[in-house]
Amino acid sequence: MKDGLRENFFTSRRRPAFVLDEEQFRRCCQLLLQRSDQLGDGWSWEAVQGSEEGYLRKTALRSVPSDWGPLHDQEGFSFHPQTLYDGSYTGTNSSSLVVQYEYHILFSCSYGAPVLYFRAFTLEGKSLALEEMWSTIHPNYRLRLQNFPLNAISQQEHPLLGQPFFFLHPCRTEEFMGLVLQAAQDQGRPVNYVLSWLSVVGPVVGLDVPLQYCTPLHSAVSLNSTKPD
Amino acid sequence: MSDNAESPTETQKEELHSPSENSATSEEKKKIDVLLKAVGDTPIMKTKKWAVDRGRTVQSLAQFISRFLKLDANEQLFIYVHQSFAPSPDQEVGVLFDCFGSDGKLVLHYCKSQAWG
Repeated sequence: MKDGLRENFFTSRRRPAFVLDEEQFRRCCQLLLQRSDQLGDGWSWEAVQGSEEGYLRKTALRSVPSDWGPLHDQEGFSFHPQTLYDGSYTGTNSSSLVVQYEYHILFSCSYGAPVLYFRAFTLEGKSLALEEMWSTIHPNYRLRLQNFPLNAISQQEHPLLGQPFFFLHPCRTEEFMGLVLQAAQDQGRPVNYVLSWLSVVGPVVGLDVPLQYCTPLHSAVSLNSTKPD
Repeated sequence: MSDNAESPTETQKEELHSPSENSATSEEKKKIDVLLKAVGDTPIMKTKKWAVDRGRTVQSLAQFISRFLKLDANEQLFIYVHQSFAPSPDQEVGVLFDCFGSDGKLVLHYCKSQAWG
Protein backbone atom coordinates (compact mmCIF):
# COMPACT_ATOMS: atom_id res chain seq x y z
CA MET A 1 0.00 0.00 0.00
CA LYS A 2 1.40 3.35 -0.93
CA ASP A 3 1.41 5.65 2.02
CA GLY A 4 4.02 8.19 1.28
CA LEU A 5 7.72 7.82 1.78
CA ARG A 6 8.05 4.24 2.81
CA GLU A 7 10.89 2.04 3.89
CA ASN A 8 11.64 -1.16 2.07
CA PHE A 9 14.07 -3.99 2.64
CA PHE A 10 14.67 -2.91 6.18
CA THR A 11 17.18 -5.44 7.41
CA SER A 12 20.13 -5.07 9.65
CA ARG A 13 22.43 -5.25 6.68
CA ARG A 14 20.82 -2.86 4.30
CA ARG A 15 19.57 0.58 5.05
CA PRO A 16 15.98 1.33 4.10
CA ALA A 17 15.31 2.45 0.55
CA PHE A 18 13.57 5.77 0.24
CA VAL A 19 11.03 5.58 -2.52
CA LEU A 20 8.87 8.46 -3.57
CA ASP A 21 5.31 7.95 -4.71
CA GLU A 22 3.51 10.22 -7.11
CA GLU A 23 1.51 12.07 -4.51
CA GLN A 24 4.64 12.79 -2.48
CA PHE A 25 6.30 13.96 -5.66
CA ARG A 26 3.48 16.39 -6.38
CA ARG A 27 3.55 17.76 -2.86
CA CYS A 28 7.30 18.29 -3.00
CA CYS A 29 6.85 20.03 -6.32
CA GLN A 30 4.16 22.31 -4.96
CA LEU A 31 6.37 23.33 -2.06
CA LEU A 32 9.24 23.96 -4.42
CA LEU A 33 6.89 25.96 -6.61
CA GLN A 34 5.76 28.12 -3.71
CA ARG A 35 9.33 29.02 -2.92
CA SER A 36 10.11 29.54 -6.59
CA ASP A 37 7.26 32.02 -6.82
CA GLN A 38 8.55 33.88 -3.79
CA LEU A 39 12.03 33.99 -5.23
CA GLY A 40 11.00 34.62 -8.81
CA ASP A 41 12.97 31.59 -9.87
CA GLY A 42 10.70 30.79 -12.79
CA TRP A 43 9.42 27.26 -12.20
CA SER A 44 5.90 26.42 -13.32
CA TRP A 45 3.70 23.37 -13.00
CA GLU A 46 2.57 21.92 -16.31
CA ALA A 47 -0.45 19.70 -15.81
CA VAL A 48 -1.37 16.88 -18.09
CA GLN A 49 -4.82 17.67 -19.39
CA GLY A 50 -7.58 16.20 -17.30
CA SER A 51 -5.39 14.71 -14.61
CA GLU A 52 -3.35 15.55 -11.57
CA GLU A 53 -0.28 14.31 -13.34
CA GLY A 54 2.20 16.88 -14.45
CA TYR A 55 5.74 18.15 -14.22
CA LEU A 56 7.76 21.17 -13.22
CA ARG A 57 9.15 23.29 -16.00
CA LYS A 58 11.65 26.08 -16.22
CA THR A 59 13.53 27.83 -18.97
CA ALA A 60 16.79 29.65 -18.53
CA LEU A 61 19.49 31.30 -20.54
CA ARG A 62 23.02 30.17 -19.95
CA SER A 63 26.25 31.64 -21.05
CA VAL A 64 28.68 28.88 -21.92
CA PRO A 65 32.39 29.55 -22.43
CA SER A 66 33.22 28.92 -26.05
CA ASP A 67 36.46 27.15 -25.22
CA TRP A 68 34.65 24.31 -23.48
CA GLY A 69 33.94 22.47 -26.68
CA PRO A 70 33.10 22.57 -30.37
CA LEU A 71 30.06 24.80 -30.07
CA HIS A 72 31.81 27.76 -31.59
CA ASP A 73 32.30 25.79 -34.79
CA GLN A 74 28.59 25.37 -35.29
CA GLU A 75 26.50 27.75 -37.24
CA GLY A 76 23.77 29.65 -35.55
CA PHE A 77 25.52 30.39 -32.30
CA SER A 78 25.72 33.88 -30.95
CA PHE A 79 28.99 35.22 -29.79
CA HIS A 80 29.43 37.99 -27.39
CA PRO A 81 32.70 38.84 -25.72
CA GLN A 82 32.30 38.34 -22.03
CA THR A 83 34.22 36.83 -19.18
CA LEU A 84 33.54 33.21 -18.38
CA TYR A 85 30.52 32.72 -16.19
CA ASP A 86 32.29 30.50 -13.75
CA GLY A 87 35.37 32.21 -12.43
CA SER A 88 36.79 29.03 -10.99
CA TYR A 89 37.41 27.58 -14.41
CA THR A 90 39.10 30.28 -16.38
CA GLY A 91 41.28 30.10 -19.40
CA THR A 92 41.68 33.34 -21.20
CA ASN A 93 38.97 35.97 -21.47
CA SER A 94 37.52 34.19 -24.46
CA SER A 95 34.07 34.73 -25.82
CA SER A 96 31.07 32.81 -24.61
CA LEU A 97 27.89 31.52 -26.17
CA VAL A 98 24.32 31.93 -25.10
CA VAL A 99 22.19 28.82 -24.93
CA GLN A 100 18.52 28.51 -24.05
CA TYR A 101 17.68 25.70 -21.70
CA GLU A 102 14.40 24.08 -20.89
CA TYR A 103 14.25 21.87 -17.80
CA HIS A 104 11.47 19.48 -16.85
CA ILE A 105 11.13 17.54 -13.64
CA LEU A 106 9.03 14.43 -14.11
CA PHE A 107 8.20 11.56 -11.84
CA SER A 108 9.41 8.06 -12.60
CA CYS A 109 7.09 5.40 -11.24
CA SER A 110 9.52 2.62 -11.88
CA TYR A 111 12.31 4.29 -9.95
CA GLY A 112 10.14 6.07 -7.41
CA ALA A 113 12.18 9.17 -8.03
CA PRO A 114 12.14 12.47 -9.89
CA VAL A 115 13.87 12.59 -13.25
CA LEU A 116 15.40 15.61 -14.92
CA TYR A 117 14.67 16.06 -18.61
CA PHE A 118 16.14 18.96 -20.50
CA ARG A 119 16.87 20.35 -23.91
CA ALA A 120 18.85 23.23 -25.21
CA PHE A 121 18.64 25.61 -28.14
CA THR A 122 20.71 28.31 -29.71
CA LEU A 123 19.16 31.75 -29.68
CA GLU A 124 18.16 31.09 -33.28
CA GLY A 125 16.13 28.09 -32.20
CA LYS A 126 18.39 25.29 -33.38
CA SER A 127 18.32 22.44 -30.91
CA LEU A 128 21.58 21.08 -29.57
CA ALA A 129 22.64 17.59 -30.46
CA LEU A 130 24.07 15.29 -27.82
CA GLU A 131 27.66 16.12 -28.66
CA GLU A 132 27.01 19.82 -28.56
CA MET A 133 25.19 19.46 -25.27
CA TRP A 134 28.29 17.79 -23.80
CA SER A 135 30.18 20.96 -24.55
CA THR A 136 27.90 22.86 -22.23
CA ILE A 137 28.62 20.61 -19.28
CA HIS A 138 31.06 22.14 -16.85
CA PRO A 139 34.46 20.40 -17.24
CA ASN A 140 34.43 19.49 -13.56
CA TYR A 141 31.48 17.17 -14.18
CA ARG A 142 32.35 15.97 -17.61
CA LEU A 143 35.03 13.47 -16.72
CA ARG A 144 32.85 11.66 -14.23
CA LEU A 145 29.87 11.53 -16.55
CA GLN A 146 31.97 10.37 -19.46
CA ASN A 147 33.28 7.43 -17.49
CA PHE A 148 29.78 6.12 -17.17
CA PRO A 149 27.94 7.36 -20.23
CA LEU A 150 25.21 4.75 -20.31
CA ASN A 151 23.86 5.75 -16.96
CA ALA A 152 24.37 9.43 -17.14
CA ILE A 153 23.03 11.71 -19.83
CA SER A 154 21.28 10.30 -22.83
CA GLN A 155 18.46 11.12 -25.17
CA GLN A 156 14.98 9.83 -24.77
CA GLU A 157 11.47 10.59 -25.83
CA HIS A 158 9.76 12.78 -23.25
CA PRO A 159 7.17 10.53 -21.59
CA LEU A 160 4.43 13.14 -21.73
CA LEU A 161 5.32 15.28 -24.73
CA GLY A 162 6.80 12.66 -27.02
CA GLN A 163 9.61 14.97 -28.13
CA PRO A 164 13.30 14.15 -27.87
CA PHE A 165 14.90 15.38 -24.67
CA PHE A 166 18.09 14.73 -22.83
CA PHE A 167 17.71 13.22 -19.42
CA LEU A 168 19.73 12.24 -16.39
CA HIS A 169 19.16 8.55 -15.78
CA PRO A 170 17.52 8.01 -12.39
CA CYS A 171 19.02 4.62 -11.61
CA ARG A 172 21.51 6.09 -9.15
CA THR A 173 19.21 8.62 -7.60
CA GLU A 174 18.10 6.51 -4.66
CA GLU A 175 21.70 5.74 -3.88
CA PHE A 176 22.74 9.26 -3.07
CA MET A 177 19.33 10.47 -1.95
CA GLY A 178 18.99 7.57 0.45
CA LEU A 179 22.11 8.61 2.32
CA VAL A 180 20.87 12.14 2.72
CA LEU A 181 17.37 11.12 3.73
CA GLN A 182 18.64 8.59 6.24
CA ALA A 183 20.87 11.18 7.87
CA ALA A 184 18.05 13.70 7.98
CA GLN A 185 15.65 11.14 9.37
CA ASP A 186 18.12 10.25 12.10
CA GLN A 187 18.10 13.90 13.08
CA GLY A 188 14.35 14.17 12.84
CA ARG A 189 14.68 16.75 10.12
CA PRO A 190 12.12 16.79 7.28
CA VAL A 191 13.42 16.95 3.74
CA ASN A 192 11.91 18.00 0.43
CA TYR A 193 13.07 15.10 -1.72
CA VAL A 194 12.67 16.92 -5.02
CA LEU A 195 14.47 20.03 -3.81
CA SER A 196 17.29 18.05 -2.29
CA TRP A 197 17.68 15.94 -5.42
CA LEU A 198 17.56 18.97 -7.67
CA SER A 199 20.27 20.74 -5.70
CA VAL A 200 22.56 17.79 -6.44
CA VAL A 201 21.78 17.10 -10.10
CA GLY A 202 20.85 20.57 -11.27
CA PRO A 203 24.33 22.11 -11.35
CA VAL A 204 25.61 19.23 -13.49
CA VAL A 205 23.44 20.45 -16.36
CA GLY A 206 23.77 24.12 -15.67
CA LEU A 207 20.65 24.51 -13.58
CA ASP A 208 21.22 26.74 -10.61
CA VAL A 209 19.23 26.12 -7.47
CA PRO A 210 19.59 29.21 -5.28
CA LEU A 211 20.46 28.85 -1.63
CA GLN A 212 17.31 30.76 -0.76
CA TYR A 213 15.29 27.62 -1.39
CA CYS A 214 16.37 26.34 1.97
CA THR A 215 16.94 29.43 4.04
CA PRO A 216 14.11 29.98 6.49
CA LEU A 217 11.30 32.21 5.37
CA HIS A 218 8.76 34.02 7.50
CA SER A 219 5.96 32.00 6.08
CA ALA A 220 3.98 28.88 6.74
CA VAL A 221 5.85 26.87 4.13
CA SER A 222 6.47 23.50 5.61
CA LEU A 223 8.96 20.94 4.39
CA ASN A 224 7.41 18.13 6.37
CA SER A 225 5.91 16.26 3.46
CA THR A 226 8.70 13.77 3.01
CA LYS A 227 8.95 12.62 6.56
CA PRO A 228 8.74 8.83 6.64
CA ASP A 229 5.91 7.34 8.66
CA MET B 1 36.12 1.41 3.19
CA SER B 2 38.85 2.66 5.44
CA ASP B 3 37.77 5.04 8.12
CA ASN B 4 41.16 5.76 9.52
CA ALA B 5 41.95 8.91 7.64
CA GLU B 6 45.27 10.19 8.82
CA SER B 7 45.75 13.47 10.50
CA PRO B 8 46.67 16.16 8.07
CA THR B 9 50.24 16.98 7.44
CA GLU B 10 51.36 20.53 7.80
CA THR B 11 51.18 20.93 4.05
CA GLN B 12 47.61 19.78 3.91
CA LYS B 13 46.66 22.04 6.76
CA GLU B 14 48.20 24.97 5.00
CA GLU B 15 46.29 24.15 1.87
CA LEU B 16 43.02 24.78 3.55
CA HIS B 17 44.19 27.45 5.92
CA SER B 18 46.20 29.27 3.32
CA PRO B 19 45.83 33.02 3.50
CA SER B 20 43.98 34.76 0.70
CA GLU B 21 45.89 36.60 -1.95
CA ASN B 22 47.35 40.05 -1.62
CA SER B 23 44.77 42.74 -2.12
CA ALA B 24 41.82 41.17 -0.28
CA THR B 25 40.13 43.39 2.24
CA SER B 26 40.26 42.44 5.87
CA GLU B 27 36.66 41.24 5.53
CA GLU B 28 37.58 38.90 2.69
CA LYS B 29 40.62 37.63 4.53
CA LYS B 30 38.41 36.38 7.31
CA LYS B 31 38.16 32.68 7.86
CA ILE B 32 35.14 30.85 9.07
CA ASP B 33 34.99 27.70 11.15
CA VAL B 34 33.66 24.68 9.33
CA LEU B 35 32.65 21.43 10.98
CA LEU B 36 32.67 18.49 8.61
CA LYS B 37 30.35 15.58 9.30
CA ALA B 38 30.32 12.32 7.40
CA VAL B 39 27.09 10.82 6.15
CA GLY B 40 26.42 7.11 5.70
CA ASP B 41 29.50 4.97 5.41
CA THR B 42 31.65 7.79 4.14
CA PRO B 43 35.03 7.80 5.89
CA ILE B 44 35.21 10.16 8.81
CA MET B 45 37.87 12.80 8.73
CA LYS B 46 40.04 12.68 11.82
CA THR B 47 40.21 16.43 11.77
CA LYS B 48 36.66 17.66 11.51
CA LYS B 49 37.05 21.29 12.31
CA TRP B 50 38.74 23.58 9.83
CA ALA B 51 39.30 27.27 9.44
CA VAL B 52 38.41 28.07 5.85
CA ASP B 53 38.74 31.27 3.86
CA ARG B 54 35.35 32.84 3.24
CA GLY B 55 36.04 32.96 -0.46
CA ARG B 56 36.72 29.26 -0.78
CA THR B 57 34.21 27.52 -3.01
CA VAL B 58 32.22 24.40 -2.23
CA GLN B 59 33.88 22.73 -5.20
CA SER B 60 37.31 23.50 -3.83
CA LEU B 61 36.37 22.16 -0.42
CA ALA B 62 34.92 19.00 -1.96
CA GLN B 63 38.14 18.43 -3.85
CA PHE B 64 40.13 18.90 -0.68
CA ILE B 65 38.04 16.37 1.21
CA SER B 66 38.21 13.90 -1.68
CA ARG B 67 41.98 14.10 -1.77
CA PHE B 68 42.18 13.91 1.99
CA LEU B 69 40.03 10.77 2.05
CA LYS B 70 41.85 9.39 -1.00
CA LEU B 71 38.66 8.74 -2.91
CA ASP B 72 38.75 6.91 -6.23
CA ALA B 73 38.12 8.77 -9.44
CA ASN B 74 34.75 7.09 -9.76
CA GLU B 75 33.64 8.12 -6.30
CA GLN B 76 31.81 11.35 -6.01
CA LEU B 77 31.67 13.58 -2.99
CA PHE B 78 28.55 15.53 -2.14
CA ILE B 79 28.48 18.38 0.31
CA TYR B 80 25.25 19.43 2.00
CA VAL B 81 24.07 22.27 4.15
CA HIS B 82 21.07 21.89 6.37
CA GLN B 83 21.65 18.15 5.93
CA SER B 84 19.60 18.13 2.78
CA PHE B 85 20.63 20.79 0.32
CA ALA B 86 23.63 20.66 -1.96
CA PRO B 87 24.92 24.18 -2.52
CA SER B 88 26.13 25.01 -5.98
CA PRO B 89 29.81 24.14 -6.48
CA ASP B 90 30.89 27.72 -7.01
CA GLN B 91 29.13 28.91 -3.89
CA GLU B 92 31.46 30.52 -1.40
CA VAL B 93 31.60 29.01 2.07
CA GLY B 94 31.49 32.48 3.57
CA VAL B 95 28.01 32.96 2.15
CA LEU B 96 26.96 29.54 3.46
CA PHE B 97 28.23 30.53 6.87
CA ASP B 98 26.18 33.71 6.79
CA CYS B 99 23.03 31.77 5.91
CA PHE B 100 23.43 28.57 7.86
CA GLY B 101 26.12 29.14 10.43
CA SER B 102 25.30 28.85 14.11
CA ASP B 103 27.36 28.90 17.29
CA GLY B 104 30.13 30.46 15.25
CA LYS B 105 30.52 27.58 12.84
CA LEU B 106 29.15 26.15 9.64
CA VAL B 107 28.21 22.49 9.75
CA LEU B 108 28.66 20.75 6.42
CA HIS B 109 27.68 17.17 5.81
CA TYR B 110 29.57 15.26 3.18
CA CYS B 111 28.98 11.87 1.68
CA LYS B 112 30.52 9.82 -1.03
CA SER B 113 28.66 7.85 -3.59
CA GLN B 114 29.42 6.04 -6.77
CA ALA B 115 29.28 8.50 -9.58
CA TRP B 116 26.48 7.89 -12.04
CA GLY B 117 27.14 4.53 -13.63
